[in-house]
Amino acid sequence: MAALPWPTAARIAGRELRNSRGKFLFVILSVAIGVAALTGVRGFSTAFRQTLLVRARSILAGDLGARMFQQPTAAQQAKLDAAIAGKGIRVSPVTEMVAMSTAANALDPLLVGLKAIDINEYPYYGSVTLQPAMPLQQAVGNGNVAVGDDLLIRLKLSVGDRITIGDATFAIKAVVASEPDRLSGQFAAGPRVLLTQQELAATHLLAPGSRASQRYLFKLPQSNDAAVATLKSAVEDALPEAQVTDYRETNPAITMALDRSTSILSLVSLVALVLGALGVAMAMRTHLLERMDTIAIMKSLGAQSSSILRIYSLQTVLLGLLGGIVGVVLGIGVQLVLPLLLGKLLGLSPELHIAGGAIIVGLLTGLVITVLFTLPPLLDIRGIRPILILRRNMEEPPADAGAWWTRTVAKVRASAAQVGAIALILLGLTLIATTLSDSKLVGRIFTVGLFAVLLVLLATAALLLWALRIFLARTRLALPSVLRHGLANLYRPGNPSSALLAALGLGVMQIAIVLFLGQAFTKELKISTNPTLPNVFLIDIASNEIDGVQKLLKQQPTVHGTAEFLPVIASRILSVDGTPAAKLKLKNFPQRMLQTITLTWSDDLPAGTKVLSGKFWKPGETRPQVAIGEMHANRLGVHIGSHIVFAAAGDPDNPVDAVVSAIIRSDGQHAYSRAEFILPPAPLAQLPVVWYGAVHSDPDRVGQLQRALYAKYPTVTVINVAQAMETLRSVLLQVSLVVQFLAGFSIFAGLVILASAIAGTRYRRIREVVVLKTLGATRSRIAAIFSVEFATLGLVAGLVGLLFANASSILLLRKLDLDYHFMTLENLLALLGVAALTVATGWLASFRVLGQKPLEVLRED
Amino acid sequence: MTLSASLSVPSIRVSSLTKTIRNGTRSVEILRGISFDVCPGEFVAIMGSSGSGKSTLLGLLAGLDSPTSGDVILQGTSISYLAEDKLATLRGKLIGFVFQSYQLIPTLTALENVLLPFELNSSAAQTEGLDRARGLLAAVSLADRADHYPVQLSGGEQQRVALARAFILRPPIILADEPTGNLDSKNGAQVMDLLLDLNRREGTTLVLVTHDAAVAANASRILTVRDGALLSDLPHVPQGSMVTA
Repeated sequence: MAALPWPTAARIAGRELRNSRGKFLFVILSVAIGVAALTGVRGFSTAFRQTLLVRARSILAGDLGARMFQQPTAAQQAKLDAAIAGKGIRVSPVTEMVAMSTAANALDPLLVGLKAIDINEYPYYGSVTLQPAMPLQQAVGNGNVAVGDDLLIRLKLSVGDRITIGDATFAIKAVVASEPDRLSGQFAAGPRVLLTQQELAATHLLAPGSRASQRYLFKLPQSNDAAVATLKSAVEDALPEAQVTDYRETNPAITMALDRSTSILSLVSLVALVLGALGVAMAMRTHLLERMDTIAIMKSLGAQSSSILRIYSLQTVLLGLLGGIVGVVLGIGVQLVLPLLLGKLLGLSPELHIAGGAIIVGLLTGLVITVLFTLPPLLDIRGIRPILILRRNMEEPPADAGAWWTRTVAKVRASAAQVGAIALILLGLTLIATTLSDSKLVGRIFTVGLFAVLLVLLATAALLLWALRIFLARTRLALPSVLRHGLANLYRPGNPSSALLAALGLGVMQIAIVLFLGQAFTKELKISTNPTLPNVFLIDIASNEIDGVQKLLKQQPTVHGTAEFLPVIASRILSVDGTPAAKLKLKNFPQRMLQTITLTWSDDLPAGTKVLSGKFWKPGETRPQVAIGEMHANRLGVHIGSHIVFAAAGDPDNPVDAVVSAIIRSDGQHAYSRAEFILPPAPLAQLPVVWYGAVHSDPDRVGQLQRALYAKYPTVTVINVAQAMETLRSVLLQVSLVVQFLAGFSIFAGLVILASAIAGTRYRRIREVVVLKTLGATRSRIAAIFSVEFATLGLVAGLVGLLFANASSILLLRKLDLDYHFMTLENLLALLGVAALTVATGWLASFRVLGQKPLEVLRED
Repeated sequence: MTLSASLSVPSIRVSSLTKTIRNGTRSVEILRGISFDVCPGEFVAIMGSSGSGKSTLLGLLAGLDSPTSGDVILQGTSISYLAEDKLATLRGKLIGFVFQSYQLIPTLTALENVLLPFELNSSAAQTEGLDRARGLLAAVSLADRADHYPVQLSGGEQQRVALARAFILRPPIILADEPTGNLDSKNGAQVMDLLLDLNRREGTTLVLVTHDAAVAANASRILTVRDGALLSDLPHVPQGSMVTA
């Protein structure tokens, strides 16, 4: 017999769709929710990331910055020009140096930090805030400069007065309230003086050998990660001594937050994808199970499996497409609505580009996932026998014959097509995950991990069901009948308990992973966004001033929290592992910087510092050891156990030979974040020391603090990074909120999908409800029986899911360099929550079934 | 029970029963005003061709649906407009139901299936129920299959379990819908014999729907339904066992 012609198959498929719209709506919605979660989460997180990266760029004032301590040679300049020529890349130099300034009415000259810029280019991102408010071009240039208000305090000047720097005299046009790149520029300097490159040249201070740092800011016409990376390597190549940083590396906290949020958001959208797929698979499976009778009838009329497959494949494609369309519309809605909600909450409005590509990707994803996940139940069609219409609840009699392995082999052979289908699903998911994920590696690891976990979940679910069955067989009649009946329901023929358990468990696991990761991430961010982190740094406090400064800070009403102090010893590196400093091969680190490094001491691990490798010493350590920042370790090429010989500026004859005992990373937000070489106090005890301080002040009242300090300790320099810290903090808070929000969103979508999967089993219960009612069972009794079934399902799935979620979180958090803590309350609540959700959904889904008159169902027999 | 008493309180009283169902935009009158009484201990066969309304009638007798008008009174209690849960409790107490397609709960063993109505409706000790269930399984010759699941039983065996289940609570009324309809003649005859035997032993009222004259031949009264109305209501002399010697 020839296979059914496609048009006929399409007509039958279409008619079935029209006749039971309600049931199909359910399938379409399941697909739609999956696709919506995927496109919504993905689209929004991409848009958000872009917006956030623009803010991160403002901390650097460009896409890329290259900092060096001498002017590039002609050859280097030519190489750099060639590297960026014709690509539309803009470059702007920023020169920073320390100089003395004088004013007519001040007796003493004052050390100031000059920053020479190109007012037509600087800054590429962010803006300079001036008081009184005016454009930068108006305040700086043509003999005008803008200065920090500490300069006005110290020199007793006001806006409009004149200062002399080198050979030039300038008019002070405005006060610099904030510079976007304050955290990226030179730090240990006096009050800020912002001037143009031409004005700097007019001072005649810039001469060969002068201690000026040169920074180049770059802006790309299209700033994407790949373009930035290409430019970075080109610049590193052209300027071998330059320290090149891109916008992601401006601040360790930002770098970490962005990296982690990228990983977590990728994970969230992949989770949304798999949850959506689960929803689709469960919905289609239920749908086909309900069609078994129809299929059996068609077969008894002589229809070949291939003909029936045609009908249901067409139906699947149609459902997938419809679901995809609804899902994409929902997804776009999510992308449109989320920013509106978040905009108010975060003061952040991501630019939305709903690309045609994203819509097509959403549609295709919905379709491919629907087809892939419908394959196994579609293939089952071939096994449906026409006898089904004559005898319900037909099951293959258990094959008692043969050893367990012969039975297993027979089973595997019988399910070869299913194995093939699973392989296809694996392949398809890997493809989708790698295409959609920001990181191909994350995508691949995710799919492989997912399947490994799914297998283990299936095995665990089967094992648990088996154990429960044995328990049931042993205790059977001793159990209360509701409990016994409810538990027995788990083994209802055609009830895919282990599949449902695995699916539920997988869903619970993914949701819990997102929850755990999000929590760990935001907990870590909470430390970085602590509102009392230092935002004012004090430089050059003499040892005999330290107590006084501390006392003064305590009395200041604008100061919050405790001040941190960092001892600093000017030093130089003599040799590393026996190689003299002059012969060291350094990576992007100027040789002459080895002559001007600073050492500091600490008895134990400073706040905001993390040990990456090795061990930090215990308090009271006397041996010379050094903990070194990872960047410096990299540049110097040292590792744990390396020897570095330091000589202090005040004591060149007694070098300190220190062993590298720890490689550390700081969060960039504490006094110690500035320290690259930390030693125990004992070896440095006799060396001349100055102190740096870090304190938190109300951002708007730093001037008050500056005046108070200057009145008593005029030699102490105050560096105000309050505004920059506020930017940083707000960026980090936004990352944290968005991660929480999107995690919450995908958890919600996941729960909806899981609920719909549970609800999908309701049709199988109708007949049972009717029989129970006929035998005299009340609705509450039936509800109690089902509650036992659902609660067991929920508890087992929750238990298995949470077990794997915790295990995976340990691994993932280690990868993300975050700490794992078992969250007892969250785990317990999640477990009970899953059970409650399963029961509630089960009830909701069975509500109509329970109210139905038995005869309505029996009549359909 | 004396004859006069049994005449004054019929086991089942059906008065002017109608049932109309809506099928899309069309409404179909399935029952058009049926009235009859069934005395305690009587065996009534309801006959009729497919679609005559006999199964709907039986369903209304069991309170599985509400009539459009008219009333069903079981043992003096009107059941037609009772709330769902009250109806279920009443059904459990008064009626044992035998389905054409057995309708055993697939997840429960034969013994548990028989025990189920007892667990649902009786407040007596479980051991009492278990003894009765085992006794009934023995009566239908399935004592050795007590721990089997429905899928492990043949059709005839499943229907015998269903019979045992119908009698567990000693209901005054047994309603059976084509109880032999899904069985071959030998198994059908065996099930019918068991049904009659149990019916006699327990002294229940039996109302049985069938279109098989051989089954109806055992009844003491035959009601014939056609197009939703009672065509005839004739007393009948039972012809004894169907089992061929």
